[in-house]
Amino acid sequence: MEEKTMIITPSRCTACRTCELACSFQHSVNGKPGIPRIRAFMIAENDGHVLTCFQCDDAACVRVCPVDALSRNDATAAIEVDAYRCIGCGLCSIACPFGHIRHETRDNIAVKCNLCKGQPACVTFCPTKTLEYK
Amino acid sequence: MSEKTINLEINGRFFQAGLGETVLGVARREGIEIPTLCHHDALEPFGSCRLCVVEITHKDWKGWTGLVTACLYPVEEGLQVTTDNAEIATVRKTVLDLLLARCPGSDLIRRLAAAHGVTRTSYKKPPHPTTCILCGMCVRVCAAKGVHAIGTSGRGIEKKIAIPFRQAPPDCIGCASCAHICPTDTIRCEDTDTVRSDGSGGVRKIWGHSFEMAMCDTCGKPILPRKQMEYEAARSGLDESYFTVCASCSQAKTFKTIGSAFDMGGVE
Repeated sequence: MEEKTMIITPSRCTACRTCELACSFQHSVNGKPGIPRIRAFMIAENDGHVLTCFQCDDAACVRVCPVDALSRNDATAAIEVDAYRCIGCGLCSIACPFGHIRHETRDNIAVKCNLCKGQPACVTFCPTKTLEYK
Repeated sequence: MSEKTINLEINGRFFQAGLGETVLGVARREGIEIPTLCHHDALEPFGSCRLCVVEITHKDWKGWTGLVTACLYPVEEGLQVTTDNAEIATVRKTVLDLLLARCPGSDLIRRLAAAHGVTRTSYKKPPHPTTCILCGMCVRVCAAKGVHAIGTSGRGIEKKIAIPFRQAPPDCIGCASCAHICPTDTIRCEDTDTVRSDGSGGVRKIWGHSFEMAMCDTCGKPILPRKQMEYEAARSGLDESYFTVCASCSQAKTFKTIGSAFDMGGVE
């Protein structure tokens, strides 16, 4: 399988936050929307930016996890959280130098972008093509 | 995970599993619910709660059946598993009946017992009710982190989660993983956020310790105990600077950096 990458073009972003909404619904549990794994911010007037996990090569989150709950999915090259293994200690969210891992208090687990197993919902719904997956 | 070469049957449906998988692991993966209190995928299976009992049989066993804990039983070729029948329900009810007598104050036990049709216990009230169900998850998570600060003491009715010599365990790093994982919220962990004017003040109290918290460089909120920071840095091989900024400040910083880079303001 040819490897795809998430490409973000910030100059097109209007910070409409549709990506956050799509992400929330994509990762909803029992009909309750989840924490968005992607964040869009209006930094200055007409200057939107969107950020999600960089899926680092030598990731701090993977190295710091005491129970190996974070691992790379070879098919999508994304680092995924095994929700059943995660003990909710919160170390990965502290160690991530970019603040891309968040803590879902409801289930007491860490959540991060997993590229929706190869079909990112944020990309599908992005109206300005800021987010591309190719 | 090894190749899936073992064929087994759960509730009349056929599944394939790899060598070393447990019955519970296969059932969970295939969406078959088995109640548990002491199981966690990240920890060694323990088999202490006895709620995950299932009935097993095999076509070569001449009608012999047995009740085993699904979390500990490894899959084998031709195994036939039943996850719910009258006998299993009786066992689970007895377990919950006993737990309800031991932990009358635990919401989790009350909810789980009610779901299995046990609304009141048939046993005598214990002299010292507790909310600890002795699932041992706290001890195992402490071991999984390589800290081994807490353990169990005594046997039988005297068994309890204990700290060595009833003194604040010297190995404890204050990570509070035990408190996070405790299903009945029995383990006390108190975080004090009040920050004094000199920047110190965040304190975490657990197991008789009072840990000084390391503060976020940017917002000044407590992140994690200083002792834990040193431990995690040594264990993971990451620099201590990885643990000095909280998640939301890191994200804000990333936005600022990326933003200024695209504005041609230069990355600082």
